[in-house]
Amino acid sequence: MSMNSPLSRRNLLKGAAALSLSTQASALARMNGYGFDESHRTRSLVLIYLRGGADFLNMIVPRTDPSYELCRPTIGIKADEVVELSRNWGLHPALAALKPIYEEELLVPYIGVGSPHPTRSHFDAQDFMNFGAPGDRSVVNGWMNRYLTLSQKTEEGTQNEFRGIGMQRLLPIAVRGSYPVLAVPDDFASRRATSVLDRFGKFYGADGEVKEDSEGEMGSRPQPADGLDVLQSGKNTIESLRRFREIVSAKGLQNFGYPDTSIGEGMQRIAQVILSGEGLEVAAIDFNGWDHHARQGGARGSQANKLKELGDALAAFRKQLGERIGETMVMVMTEFGRTVHENGSGGTDHGHGSGMFLMGGGLRGGKVHGSFDGLRTNSLYEGRDLPVTTDYRDVIAAVLRGHMNFKAPKDFFPDYKAKKLKLFK
Amino acid sequence: MIVTALSIVSLALPLGPSDGEVIPLSPRERAVHLLARFAFGPRPGDVERLMEVGEEQWIARQLDPELQEGPILRERLGLLDALELNPSEMFIYTSYELPPKSTREERIAQGNYRGIPKWQLLSSIPLRQTFAERQVAEVLSEFWRNHFNVSYTKSWPAGLYIPDFDARVIRDNALGSFPTMLDASAHHPAMMHYLDNMLSKRPMSAGELATYEQQVRERSGSKELAEEAALIASKRGVNENYARELLELHTMGVDKGYSQADVIAAAEVLTGWGLASGKDGYYGFFFDQSRHIDGNHTFLKTILREDKNDGTGQGDRLLQVLAAHKATSNFIAEKLVRYLVNDNPPPRLVKDVAAVYRKSKGDIPAMLREILKSEEFWARENYQAKFKTPNEFLISAVRITGTVVEDTKLLTEALGAMGQPTYRCDDPTGYFDTAKDWLDPGVLTVRWDIALRLAAGELEGLRIPAEFFGEIEAGGSVLSWMQELIARVLPGGANLRTQAMVHEVVRIYKANNDEIDVQVLGPQVLGLLLGSPEFQCQ
Repeated sequence: MSMNSPLSRRNLLKGAAALSLSTQASALARMNGYGFDESHRTRSLVLIYLRGGADFLNMIVPRTDPSYELCRPTIGIKADEVVELSRNWGLHPALAALKPIYEEELLVPYIGVGSPHPTRSHFDAQDFMNFGAPGDRSVVNGWMNRYLTLSQKTEEGTQNEFRGIGMQRLLPIAVRGSYPVLAVPDDFASRRATSVLDRFGKFYGADGEVKEDSEGEMGSRPQPADGLDVLQSGKNTIESLRRFREIVSAKGLQNFGYPDTSIGEGMQRIAQVILSGEGLEVAAIDFNGWDHHARQGGARGSQANKLKELGDALAAFRKQLGERIGETMVMVMTEFGRTVHENGSGGTDHGHGSGMFLMGGGLRGGKVHGSFDGLRTNSLYEGRDLPVTTDYRDVIAAVLRGHMNFKAPKDFFPDYKAKKLKLFK
Repeated sequence: MIVTALSIVSLALPLGPSDGEVIPLSPRERAVHLLARFAFGPRPGDVERLMEVGEEQWIARQLDPELQEGPILRERLGLLDALELNPSEMFIYTSYELPPKSTREERIAQGNYRGIPKWQLLSSIPLRQTFAERQVAEVLSEFWRNHFNVSYTKSWPAGLYIPDFDARVIRDNALGSFPTMLDASAHHPAMMHYLDNMLSKRPMSAGELATYEQQVRERSGSKELAEEAALIASKRGVNENYARELLELHTMGVDKGYSQADVIAAAEVLTGWGLASGKDGYYGFFFDQSRHIDGNHTFLKTILREDKNDGTGQGDRLLQVLAAHKATSNFIAEKLVRYLVNDNPPPRLVKDVAAVYRKSKGDIPAMLREILKSEEFWARENYQAKFKTPNEFLISAVRITGTVVEDTKLLTEALGAMGQPTYRCDDPTGYFDTAKDWLDPGVLTVRWDIALRLAAGELEGLRIPAEFFGEIEAGGSVLSWMQELIARVLPGGANLRTQAMVHEVVRIYKANNDEIDVQVLGPQVLGLLLGSPEFQCQ
């Protein structure tokens, strides 16, 4: 590849030139001398995305702020129910399983994180956040997918299939894009699923090419619908799922206390892949149902039920990984926070600033991060929402740098002014 | 022999555009295209029948509101007795008295009882999509269901409202006027419930606030805190959920020239729009004046005046402003063209359709006619260019095989397994509407599984009739039978790999069997064809 190649990183962001992307990207990486060392191969980053705009203010509770109770007379967590973390902060009681992890200094609750973009629309905010490009609709590769493209070192065709996975039937947005990432359906290990793959293996070119028909001339005709990459997608599906099954189903499921739900099972599968040593770098999973406009509940209720699942899944994951947690990082994110004051329906509406949880090794754990100026009306964004005091991209950049040993190029996030966070030891 | 047989299939395919020349769609391809986009694919013989009556006749018949459904569908739907019930009637239909201290079994029985109308609705939809003569009405109903998404995943009362919503909001208006449908959706309890507008209410009045402030002061002993509490409470009450989605998803489109202030204004205008639950036996839409924020509101620089004679008058005016807004015409046109023509909607066509929207005041058939007479719709680049959604895949497979649907249960389950269960989309955005979102490995594998099971007769209640597999004509070869079957299942054409693959299956079968039984070989071939790359596209 010559130095005056027409491929710009801007194109890369947008997913153009996807076909020969891998070689170009690695050349590009060498060219620009991104600083990653060998050790990042063993590091893993897991994203749990809470869809719907999770109300972090009931997850990381400002227990001593007098406005909190006033803003949330019915859904607020009462002082005697909060799981105490520090003088000013506590956890929702359904997240109690996280407290020991916090005490191990492996957990960072981060308050006031969010996107600088003012949208309160779910789908815009979800796209902006997961593409890492607030307000820019031209970016179509998720930020985790861009990481995979830019950090790959191997030559084309030899890349590790399991650098990136989405632990659900349809890929989470953050891993979508031109770098191939496997979406794993939940029944992937069944005998039936295996035989289905075998039946279509040749059809989609995963079991060698079909022989030219010796009896007749096929001639060259246009292939219908070849612009949709159905064939390629099918081939990748078959090859990768077969390999995935080899890695994962060999190990039986043990009980680490995972909830018996899709988030529980998904996190357990991710842990298995990490422990298998296949070189998993990024994994993503969505957790749906956080849009609590009504009857959100306080210490008990619909949000509490979700939180119990989340907290228990994280705690079980930490337990299963054992020492390996040191090379692993879990990020829990959402598209926006919710109104500070509850609405008339025992719920909260779409807001602005939110929060994040980070769980893994190397963190400056044992304290709540983020700047917080209280919940008085004049401290709030537009008088109603938690302000964004930390750009979520700063956190991602810090994790990529501090945990993955990957220094994101300047325009990894378009139109972004980097601010370094002291997140790691 | 095979050369001849293959040339039958090749008739359906254009010659290679090696010189860059674009060949217009052949009459047969045009028929296939029309059935792919304005119907859920062809049933056996449909392509030929369409070619016989001609496109114009076919389209005119499809858009004829007087067209009656055939006896098969009417008889099937006639057995479903809850489909036309309004919410009040539905309440009686689903009433199941629980004793004061109910057991788990009793509560399960209650749940099952309440589930009957839901299963009827979820049966009726694939039945209509499969058997309706008026296919375009079904194709458009599916589109509007996604546009005005409501979901059973919301709490139980959704079950009272959704069948009526499907009948009165979606199907009555699918080929009618958009403003009328918008109005119907806003006045429907299913929407008020799904997007929480029933909970939206005016904040406390000055008197109520003063009492509240006094209470906080007495409790906390702090004047400052009490003032702060009153300030917060003065804003509490309005629920923005419906107003926001009304602007963003139902009419103008996200970020199209409105501000947060407009969202709040719309939400305030719509306070009081909600539900009655059992007032004098009435269940349904109800406007509650006492929850409404009185006074004029400025929305998109227009002043919406309080209507003294009609409580919902101001909100009705809001809906009219939205329906007449240019952004709405653009948004609806773009979505329609994406759905019916290409995932990347051709901009010129979008512009034309939006102009028709404005000129015809949102007449849906007029917009469809504009699409049908456009060059873009018939362009080769748009032929077979859309990846089928799970629903389109499933229904087109059932139709093309002439499957006898004895029970719809497994159709409903299949949609769930592929991630597109009807009326169960949590997100108000509805399901994804472009290929890239449905092309993930996890979805493909489920499709393949369903293709094999359907063809093999393993899906209970779904039977492919024996005659579908035809027979090897006297003096004919198994290869010509094979080509005939390929052409029937893939009327849009089969690529080389697919033909060779099927040929191999036939060869292996021949090598292992003395006699050829098409009722055994046929399902094997069919399963692969339904799972082939070509069948995933329309």
